[in-house]
Amino acid sequence: MENEFKLVPLLILALFLGISFIVGVASRTRKGEYYPVSAHAVGRIGIGAAIASNWMSAASFLGIAGIFYLKGYFALAYVIGWTGGYVLLLVLLAGQIRRFGKYSAPEFVEARYDSPVARFLSAVITIIISLIYCVAQYKGIGLIFAWIFGIDYTVALLLGVGVIFAYLAISGSLGATRNQQLHYAVLLLTFLIPLMALSAKLGYGRWLPQIGYGAALSEVNRLSGVEMAAPWASATPYEWVALCFTLMVGTAGLPHVLSRFYTLPNIRVARWSVVWGIFFIGLLYWSAPAFATFAKLLQLRGEMPIDGVAAHQIADVIVIKAAEWGGLSPWLVGMLAVGGIMAAFGTITSMLIGGAGAFSHDIYYRILNPEASERQRMKVAKGATLVLAILVVLAAVNPPGLIAEITAVAFALAGNTLFPVFLLGIWWDRTNKYGAIAGMTLGIAITFAALVFGSICPVLHTWLPSTSSALIGAPLVIIVMIVVSLLTPPPPDAIRRHLVEKVHSP
Amino acid sequence: MSSPEFDRPTSPKDYRVNFFRPQAGFMRREVIYISIALIAWALLTFGFQFLIYSGQTDASGSGPLTRQTIFSFPFEYWFTGQFLIVWFILICFLFNLMVDRLTERYRQRRQQ
Repeated sequence: MENEFKLVPLLILALFLGISFIVGVASRTRKGEYYPVSAHAVGRIGIGAAIASNWMSAASFLGIAGIFYLKGYFALAYVIGWTGGYVLLLVLLAGQIRRFGKYSAPEFVEARYDSPVARFLSAVITIIISLIYCVAQYKGIGLIFAWIFGIDYTVALLLGVGVIFAYLAISGSLGATRNQQLHYAVLLLTFLIPLMALSAKLGYGRWLPQIGYGAALSEVNRLSGVEMAAPWASATPYEWVALCFTLMVGTAGLPHVLSRFYTLPNIRVARWSVVWGIFFIGLLYWSAPAFATFAKLLQLRGEMPIDGVAAHQIADVIVIKAAEWGGLSPWLVGMLAVGGIMAAFGTITSMLIGGAGAFSHDIYYRILNPEASERQRMKVAKGATLVLAILVVLAAVNPPGLIAEITAVAFALAGNTLFPVFLLGIWWDRTNKYGAIAGMTLGIAITFAALVFGSICPVLHTWLPSTSSALIGAPLVIIVMIVVSLLTPPPPDAIRRHLVEKVHSP
Repeated sequence: MSSPEFDRPTSPKDYRVNFFRPQAGFMRREVIYISIALIAWALLTFGFQFLIYSGQTDASGSGPLTRQTIFSFPFEYWFTGQFLIVWFILICFLFNLMVDRLTERYRQRRQQ
């Protein structure tokens, strides 16, 4: 059943790539637009859909269901962290950053802190975040391609990455742009239509599987005798809260999330589109645990015992497994698989472009070679994209964890570094470059402490787990930034004046 | 009353920005709304987990809350996994309404 080639999913994949290619070519604005940051005026709902499509990655599409399948209630820390983070972003940062008037995280850092070193650090952080994020996406692509072709994971990974780069190269050279609203619609429909079919088939109602799976959850609890929904069944309250908080501050500090707000026509649209964004993201997050619940139920009903190791291996494709075990038609199962690929694909594109942009613009052009021409920078950007892509493949051959877990490390890094730098930069005029540099350096150290020193000092895994280090990390970084700033001279008056007159005025 | 300086800080050299000591006027009102939104956000997200924790009768967190069901979901599951997202949308919606009104008011005052 496992190692066979599946034609239908491949056909669907070709179809979807073809459609988005044609739409992309048809809607291109000008030739050679390699770094599109433009948001067309499509109204608040359209921008909300764009926010959601920018957000949906393999972690949302595959990862949440996977972690729910393994850890029950603990997975809700992901669901809540990845939606509640937008509240923080909206109330504390979105409007102010839009008024500040810079177009990327490193640009903001340089303008606010007036320091090339701080800019360099924030660019490096942006690149590391892109890399970690992409590793998780590549894992998703590798798993799904392995499933479609019935081949080994490593081979599938290389094949998947090859397909993506071929697609990017062709559409890039033809100037095709990505239609965010179409992308969101594809993700939502490929997720919900199979879920509705599965729910109907299992007898939990076709139209509202998000509510209907409540009964399935109760049945799982009854059949297995284990409370899947018991709050601390697989993690302590500290672990739950630490993870949830980390994902929230991470969301508010992620460069590719923030960069959506710089380009919107005005602040009011920026703020209202967040409301729609959370709603569109919520549509998927209300549904994801249903797949995992149905998978568990089918296992229990069919008496398919799956031990811990095997469960861990299939967790990240449990969405697809649920559809398969439920006996859905190959078209529906294939649709789901292709949705997963498209989610990973969209994220990889924007992450690699963002990471390469940080390198070519913020490190190469601003620091290494200020005289570089437009063409040279473009070349460096393309080279950097390739280098990043290869680095990611190397890391993804042996993925260090579940998709959601890998992604969480990127959030921890953003929450420990960029979030404090943005928060204090906007809300405390006295923060200076020394504080920012000290804070970002400490934040990087905290994020990777457990990974690097965990074997020597196991207590780090308890208090600063690499997925959840920002509950302690972010406040600590904020305190250090405040202390260091107070001990060193205040920032120039021009910057403080800009804060009062532009950023904090109606 | 006719200058754009009207709504500027009292002293033209006052460039202080501090969340905990906001300047009078627009900034102070905005900080009030932000604080309310943050309290609403934290209370239901983390406060509810604390409620489960303090009411639990065993280490896995079962207790009076988890024995209730709603739409066949255990109550704590439904509240965290489904209702909190609705709550976040509501917070953002109300926050936007309030800030829109505030901005409108201060912009008008500035133009007078």
